[in-house]
Amino acid sequence: MPLKTMKTDTAETLTLEWILHVKNYKLTIDKNLCVGCQICVLACPKEAIKIEKQSKVQGEKARKAKVDADLQKCNFCGICDVLCPYGAIKVTLNGEHALSVVEKESFPQLIRDIQVDASKCPADCVECEEACPLDLIKISRLTADGKVVENVGSPTKRKRKKLQVKVDVDKERCPCCRICEFKCPEGVMRVRKFFYGKIVIHPDKCPEGCTDCLDVCPITGALYLSDEDKKVRVNELFCVYCGACKVVCPVEEALELKRTKTSHTAVRSGAWNKALERLASPVEITKELKAKGSLRARDSVEKRLGWKSA
Amino acid sequence: MAENEIKKQAETEEPRIGVFICHCGLNIAGVLDIKELVEYARTLPNVVYVKDNRYTCADPGQEEIRKAIKEHKLNRVVVAACSPRMHEPTFRRTVSDVDLNPFLFEMANIREFSSWCHPNSPEEATEKAKELIKMAVAKSRLLRPLQTIEVPVTNKALVVGGGIAGMNAALDLAEMGFKVYLLEKSESIGGHMAQLDKTFPTLDCSICIEGPKMVDVGRHSNIEIISNADLLSVSGFIGNFKVKIRKNPRYIIAENCTGCGECKDACPIEYPNEWDMNLGVRKSISVPFDQSVPLVYTINKDYCIECYKCVDACGARQAINFEQQPEEIEIEVGAIIVSTGFDVYLPYDDPLYGYGKYANVITSLEFERLILAAGPTGGKVIRASDGHKPHTVAFIQCVGSRDVNKYPYCSNFCCMYTLKHVVQLKEKYKQDVEVYVFYMDMRSPFKGYEEFYDRARELGVNFIRGRVSRILEVPETNNLVIHAEDMTLGQPIEIESEMVVLATAAIPKKGTDEMARVLNLTRGADGFFMESHPKLKPIDTPTDGIFLAGACQGLKDIPYSVSQGSGAASRAATVLSKPKWKIEPIVSVIDPTKCRNVTAKCGICAERCPYGSIKVEEKKAAEVITAMCHGCGTCVAECPADAITQMHFTDAQIVAQIRAALETNPEGKILAFLCNWCSYAGADLAGTSRFEYPPIIRPIRVMCSGRVDRDFILEALRLGAGMVLVGACHLPYDCHYISGNWKMKARMDALAPMLQKLGLSAERFRVEYVSAAEGVRFAELIREMTEQLHTLGKDKIIAENAKLKPVLENMLKRKQQK
Ligand SMILES: Cc1cc2nc3c(=O)[nH]c(=O)nc-3n(C[C@H](O)[C@H](O)[C@H](O)COP(=O)(O)OP(=O)(O)OC[C@H]3O[C@@H](n4cnc5c(N)ncnc54)[C@H](O)[C@@H]3O)c2cc1C
Ligand code: SF4
Ligand code: SF4
Repeated sequence: MPLKTMKTDTAETLTLEWILHVKNYKLTIDKNLCVGCQICVLACPKEAIKIEKQSKVQGEKARKAKVDADLQKCNFCGICDVLCPYGAIKVTLNGEHALSVVEKESFPQLIRDIQVDASKCPADCVECEEACPLDLIKISRLTADGKVVENVGSPTKRKRKKLQVKVDVDKERCPCCRICEFKCPEGVMRVRKFFYGKIVIHPDKCPEGCTDCLDVCPITGALYLSDEDKKVRVNELFCVYCGACKVVCPVEEALELKRTKTSHTAVRSGAWNKALERLASPVEITKELKAKGSLRARDSVEKRLGWKSA
Repeated sequence: MAENEIKKQAETEEPRIGVFICHCGLNIAGVLDIKELVEYARTLPNVVYVKDNRYTCADPGQEEIRKAIKEHKLNRVVVAACSPRMHEPTFRRTVSDVDLNPFLFEMANIREFSSWCHPNSPEEATEKAKELIKMAVAKSRLLRPLQTIEVPVTNKALVVGGGIAGMNAALDLAEMGFKVYLLEKSESIGGHMAQLDKTFPTLDCSICIEGPKMVDVGRHSNIEIISNADLLSVSGFIGNFKVKIRKNPRYIIAENCTGCGECKDACPIEYPNEWDMNLGVRKSISVPFDQSVPLVYTINKDYCIECYKCVDACGARQAINFEQQPEEIEIEVGAIIVSTGFDVYLPYDDPLYGYGKYANVITSLEFERLILAAGPTGGKVIRASDGHKPHTVAFIQCVGSRDVNKYPYCSNFCCMYTLKHVVQLKEKYKQDVEVYVFYMDMRSPFKGYEEFYDRARELGVNFIRGRVSRILEVPETNNLVIHAEDMTLGQPIEIESEMVVLATAAIPKKGTDEMARVLNLTRGADGFFMESHPKLKPIDTPTDGIFLAGACQGLKDIPYSVSQGSGAASRAATVLSKPKWKIEPIVSVIDPTKCRNVTAKCGICAERCPYGSIKVEEKKAAEVITAMCHGCGTCVAECPADAITQMHFTDAQIVAQIRAALETNPEGKILAFLCNWCSYAGADLAGTSRFEYPPIIRPIRVMCSGRVDRDFILEALRLGAGMVLVGACHLPYDCHYISGNWKMKARMDALAPMLQKLGLSAERFRVEYVSAAEGVRFAELIREMTEQLHTLGKDKIIAENAKLKPVLENMLKRKQQK
């Protein structure tokens, strides 16, 4: 069969496909999971992904930006899949999740450092499950013989104490906002962010009554409306620096967002250097390279940027 | 001959002509009155010496010419004997032996054109012979010495296209000791043969026989492969081509790359491999196939993510350079062989076959990649829809070929490769697979091919004669239902098959038009490159020094591509082996002071030249690239300003012949312009075959009918010629100069109605096509024309002439004043 290339766009998903006689490459973007941030757009080495701000209907909430992918440009490398904080993109080969860039160490993986010590969990506590803005935590209780207890209220207090609590986090989709950690009364959760940075809102520059950023931010509590002036403020504690807000913000200078550091597995990769350069800034990447001692790579970045004569 | 000698002879004002009349034993003397001819010749202006010989071409005869030249200070020689097509070269040599320029020699053909074709009317034949001599003398008075042109030869060759044809051409030339540049557009040489699994009719593994040859090419010290490169431009001419080539970046330093492939293993990115017909994939840094020559990797930047894993893998070899830029080079060669091959038609545009729509419909070339052990499926023939091996496979022939709406020609090798495919399938899967072949005609005409067809039949393949009318997919199974007309049974049939293989047309390589433009080649109606002559010059092109090999000239299978590659090498060697290339000086010369293009936009000559040998630039006089000129004289006849002269066939010389022919009794004569290669040869054949015809024709030889200026016709009619005939090679392809006959036809098609309007009877001006084999036809034609001439009657002709003459005089005068 000759090569078939296909793009399918439905309300739920957007897929790109290369169908070869014996192989099938597929990129699927789950539109429900996508929050309209800009990570994949910045990360894609082929500039195959675009994000488009949606027009706003007067009086309604701002809508998250819409993602689109270009069949002509995409090469199914899976870098967007690796970097999507929300796990909205999947690249598969013959139906199986395949990230050869990771396998060949040509791109790092984000370190989603989420540690749960469920032994300290009170059997009836559901704080984290309820707090997770993305609904990624499932708590279950097991009896000693491994049976799942559906109704926590039914066993006696003594028996309840013996129940084993299990906290399952859907790590692949977790942007590591740390809300669960802060809500947990027992210090069970320990979460480290994978993007570090700085986000600043200048309320004086915000248009009167604008809450666009707040409307699209997927992390409850990262942004909030100030009681004083009815303008949006930041709680940096929870921000994951995905930039969904920045995409919709109507005033260029009102919202400043900068990623400085990422937490990822160690690799030597030009593709990562370039992705990082776009995700963070050239300054940050040279810092990172310096820290890693990758002098040659740093030289090449500096040369490319003209900071250093070739 | 020395330059100053030529000058001297050119400046000699007064011609001193010697006429030598040959008896040819009794061949001439048996019919013609030689004495009378001798007497007559003495009376002609500028003739200072006349001699008859028994055999002028024999040594004593030739010696007499040499002696006479010296003793009588002859500066022109006319030999009245046989056809110039026979002995002109002999006598040219004779005169140049004693330092007379060979172009100061002229022949009168009194044997083929007189004694042999008019044996029963000796008096009239003698009369005709006298006039033939008179015409020759008239021309000889105006002859000018010419210098044979010599150009130096760069003894290196360029072969464009490294398929099996080009590789063989390159190897042969290299073995002869010539340096060869082998230009290949893609990353590796090998061409289509490298994509094939087995080859018919022997079923030997294709790459096993081609691979070693590729390696030989790669290793040969006389061959330089320039791959991954494009031909940009070619200038110059035979022996002296300048070629510009762009080497496209591979992002690999070829000298450093060891071909180890460690980079490939490190690379995370895959993309569809065109070499596999996109059935499989290759890495972003890779070679298209393992046996690639040169074995140098290439990075495809369209897919590369620049992770530099390959750079790490390559390590100390340091073969990777992401900054590599395209590089333009210029080479000089003496000859060029074009062997750019073909492409395969992909029938996306024909809904009949469902190609691209139904997963289990594939082309034959895709089938090759499936059944090939090193292919993307490891040699398993499996369906794209479910990965299963099909239990029925239907092959459909002539997809796009022999189809008036697509490609009317036969693609030559599809019947044979389908036979190969069915034999392979049957021998591989035996009873497990049922095979059908839908065909129109099975063509298996060469050595061992019919036997191969038998082998397929013996294996129990179902051959169904008939055209397929449509193919539909069964949605549940992805099987295909083929509807066809079984011509043997004379009824429609339906067959369900699990896989369909389309033997699609082979078509001109993409970029053939561009290549034709760059190399100044012509293409046939089918789009493939045209050879100079379909029979006698099947490898040459209209551009001297450029030759064709392989499927680019017309579809052919491997053995024939190989043979033609060797043929082209030997043709090229005829050029490369000489330090200098001689060019006949019978070329066109443009007088820049007369050329219109200086002041206006003209360029008609360049447009009409069948060889593209005229260069026209705005506001400059047109210029003939002498080494490319073949001397047909078409441009001379076309030039509206009469600015072009054909050496040795000048307007003045031909007009002198016309006038000499029509001095007496013009109304009773047919004045004929005969082209050297067909109609003149046909007339010669009428003579050698002793076909008799009336002796009223007065022929004038031109190299090509394209040379026949409309003014020649007007002049002949002004002088009162009873009839005028233009003889040419047959349309469409017989012309020795590609299309001179077509140019003549267009010119005469415009002239004829005008003459008729002026009162000329249509019969009196004719254009006829006579081949060199049509002696009978020539004799018949002259008989028929003579009869018409008699029917018209002298009186009517004289009356018409009286009316025409002032108008024609006016037309010719006006022209001369301009
Ligand atoms: C499906 C199939 C099966 C076949 N099976 C057989 C078989 O079993 N036996 C057999 O005898 N024949 C077979 N043939 C025919 C065979 O493929 C041809 O006879 C043969 O390939 C012709 O060789 P070539 O060198 O003329 O052209 P090609 O093989 O087409 O090679 C042309 C070369 O020129 C290069 N080129 C093209 N354009 C340019 C350019 N502008 N500049 C530089 N380089 C250029 C191309 O890249 C290529 O390398 C088969 C053909 C097909 C389609
Ligand atoms: S990276 Fe962000 S914007 Fe891109 S697909 Fe994922 S969630 Fe959406
Ligand atoms: S830099 Fe490009 S070619 Fe090299 S390994 Fe990475 S993706 Fe492959």
